[in-house]
Amino acid sequence: MLSLETHNLSHRFSSGQDVLRNINLAVEQRSIYGFLGPNGAGKTTTLRLILGLLKRQEGSISVFGKPFDKNRIDILRRVGSLIESPSLYGHLSAKENLTIFQKIYQCPAANIPHVLGLVGLGDTGRKKASQFSLGMKQRLSIALALLPAPELLILDEPTNGLDPNGIIEMRELLKTMNREQGITILISSHLLAEIEKLVTHLGIIHQGEVIFQGTLDALKHKQQQTLHIVLEAGDPHAAMRLLLDDGMEALYTDGGIRLPAMTKTEIAAMNRKLVSAGVEVYAIRPVKNDLESIFIDLVNP
Amino acid sequence: MAHAFVASLQSEWLKKKGSLASWMVVTGAFFTPTIIIIARLVYHERLPALYASDGFWRLLWKNAWESMAIFLLPLGVMLATSLIAQLEYKNNTWKQLHTTPLPFTVIFFSKFTVIAAMMLQFLILFNLGIWLAGVIPQIIIPGVPWPGAIPYDYFLREDVFYFIDCLPIIALQYLLSLHYRNFLVSIGCGFIFWIGALGTLSWKYGFLFPYTYCMFNYLKAGVETKAAVPPVNIHGMAIGYFLIFTVAGYYLYIKKKDKG
Repeated sequence: MLSLETHNLSHRFSSGQDVLRNINLAVEQRSIYGFLGPNGAGKTTTLRLILGLLKRQEGSISVFGKPFDKNRIDILRRVGSLIESPSLYGHLSAKENLTIFQKIYQCPAANIPHVLGLVGLGDTGRKKASQFSLGMKQRLSIALALLPAPELLILDEPTNGLDPNGIIEMRELLKTMNREQGITILISSHLLAEIEKLVTHLGIIHQGEVIFQGTLDALKHKQQQTLHIVLEAGDPHAAMRLLLDDGMEALYTDGGIRLPAMTKTEIAAMNRKLVSAGVEVYAIRPVKNDLESIFIDLVNP
Repeated sequence: MAHAFVASLQSEWLKKKGSLASWMVVTGAFFTPTIIIIARLVYHERLPALYASDGFWRLLWKNAWESMAIFLLPLGVMLATSLIAQLEYKNNTWKQLHTTPLPFTVIFFSKFTVIAAMMLQFLILFNLGIWLAGVIPQIIIPGVPWPGAIPYDYFLREDVFYFIDCLPIIALQYLLSLHYRNFLVSIGCGFIFWIGALGTLSWKYGFLFPYTYCMFNYLKAGVETKAAVPPVNIHGMAIGYFLIFTVAGYYLYIKKKDKG
C-alpha cells in the first residue's frame, strides 16, 4: 500500500522553464523514502507540489490513496512537514511556537513537551526562537512537524545546520519513529551519505526527472554491478588488443583500461600475459564504487 | 468550519503576542492621553475653570481625537495591519501555515478578524486613556472639581463610527500586505494614500477617497477648517469600500499560485 503517489507530475515556472517532468513517485507505507538529488534538481518543488504550496499544473497527487486536491484538509491533518529553512515565529519561545500549531491541529497539549523532549529542546524556557542557533531552529521545526503525531512525515533537507552529533541523533529519532510508530517518512537530501544509513527506499531526481526509484537493496545491487578493475599500461592500445583477443570485456577510458571484476588469480594471469607480450604494466587496481559514486554516476552519466 | 475558525483565531491571537503590532496598539492608544495629562499638569492653573465648564468630556474627546483621527489612527492602522501579515513573511512561516489542515478561507478571515479585534482593543484602550486624561489631573491638582457625567452614548457612537471608517484602510492594507512580500510596498502605498487623503479633504469629491473617512468623521464635528465635509453618508461609503477591498483581497489570496 502506498502512502504517497504522484503520477506524471510536471511543473514549469512562469518563465516557461520546465522544472519537473513526469515525476512518478511511489512511497510505500511505513517506509523511509530518501528523495535524493543535487541542488536545483527539483526536490523542493516536488515536495511543495505534494503539500499544495504550489498550484499543480500537470499530473496527479494521491496521499493515503486519496487525491490531494479534493481531500486537502483531511490529508494535511495526518501529515507533518518541514520545507527548506525553519519556519518559526522569532518573537516567540519554542513552547509558544508549538502552541500556535497545537491549537490549529487541535492535538493534545501534552504533545508539546513530548516533541520538545524528543528533539532535545525541553529546557529552552522563555528563550525566543530568534535567539536559537540554526541547529536549534531546525530541531524546533522538526518538533513542529512531529507535533500532530503524523502518519506521513515530509522533511526537506532536515539536517541542514545540524552538527554531526545532531545528524546522528536525528537519524536515530526518525528510525525509531518509523519502527515503533509506523510513520512513513519522505526525506529529501542532496547527500546520499547522509541518508543511506536511514532510508529503505530511494528516489533519485536529476534535472527535473526521476532517474532511479527503488529499494536501497536495488541500488546496492547496482553498486555490485559497477565493481571493476582499472589497468594502466605503457602501451594501452597494445594492451587492449591482447585483452580483447583473450575475450575480455575491456574498455579504454581516459583513466586507463576498465575491466570487469575478477579474482586475484585471474589478475595475476592477466598481468603475466601482458608483461610477457612486452607491455609495461604500471598499475592494476580494483575500483569499488560506493553508493555516493553511483549517485554521481547516475546524475552525471 | 466554525471549529477550525475558532482554532485559527486562537493561534493568530497567540502569534501577535509580544509583536511590534501589539505594542503599537497599546502605545498608540495611550500616546495622546499621556500628552494631554502632561499638558494639563503643566498648565494646572487653568484646570479649575476648565473642569467646571459644561461639555468638559466632549471637549476632552475632541482634543484627544484631533491628532488621532487625522494622523495617528490612519498611519497606525496601516502599520499594524501590514505588520500582522508581515509576521508570516518575515518569519518564513506562510509555508508552515499553508500546510496545516485549515481551509485558506479560514486563514484569510481569522487573520483579518485579529486585525479588526486589535482595532477594537485600541479603541477600548484609547477610551480608557481619555478617561484617565480627565481623571488624573483632577486627582493630582488640588481644588479641581469633578468634571461631571461622561456622555457614554456619544463616546460609544463615535467609537463605532471611527471603527467603521477605518475598515477600508484595514481591508486595503491587508490586501496589499498579503499580496506583496516586500513590506515597503504596503507601507509605501498606504503612506501615499494617506497623503492623498489629506490633499483631497478640501475637494468636494474628497469623500470618494477611502482613506478620508476617519478625518471627515472628526471634521464633521464642527471644526473650522477648509475641509469639504461631504453631504453623503461616509460611514455607508466606508462599509462599501471595505466590502470591495475585502472581496478583492480574498480573491487575490485564494488565487495565489505560490503559497509559501
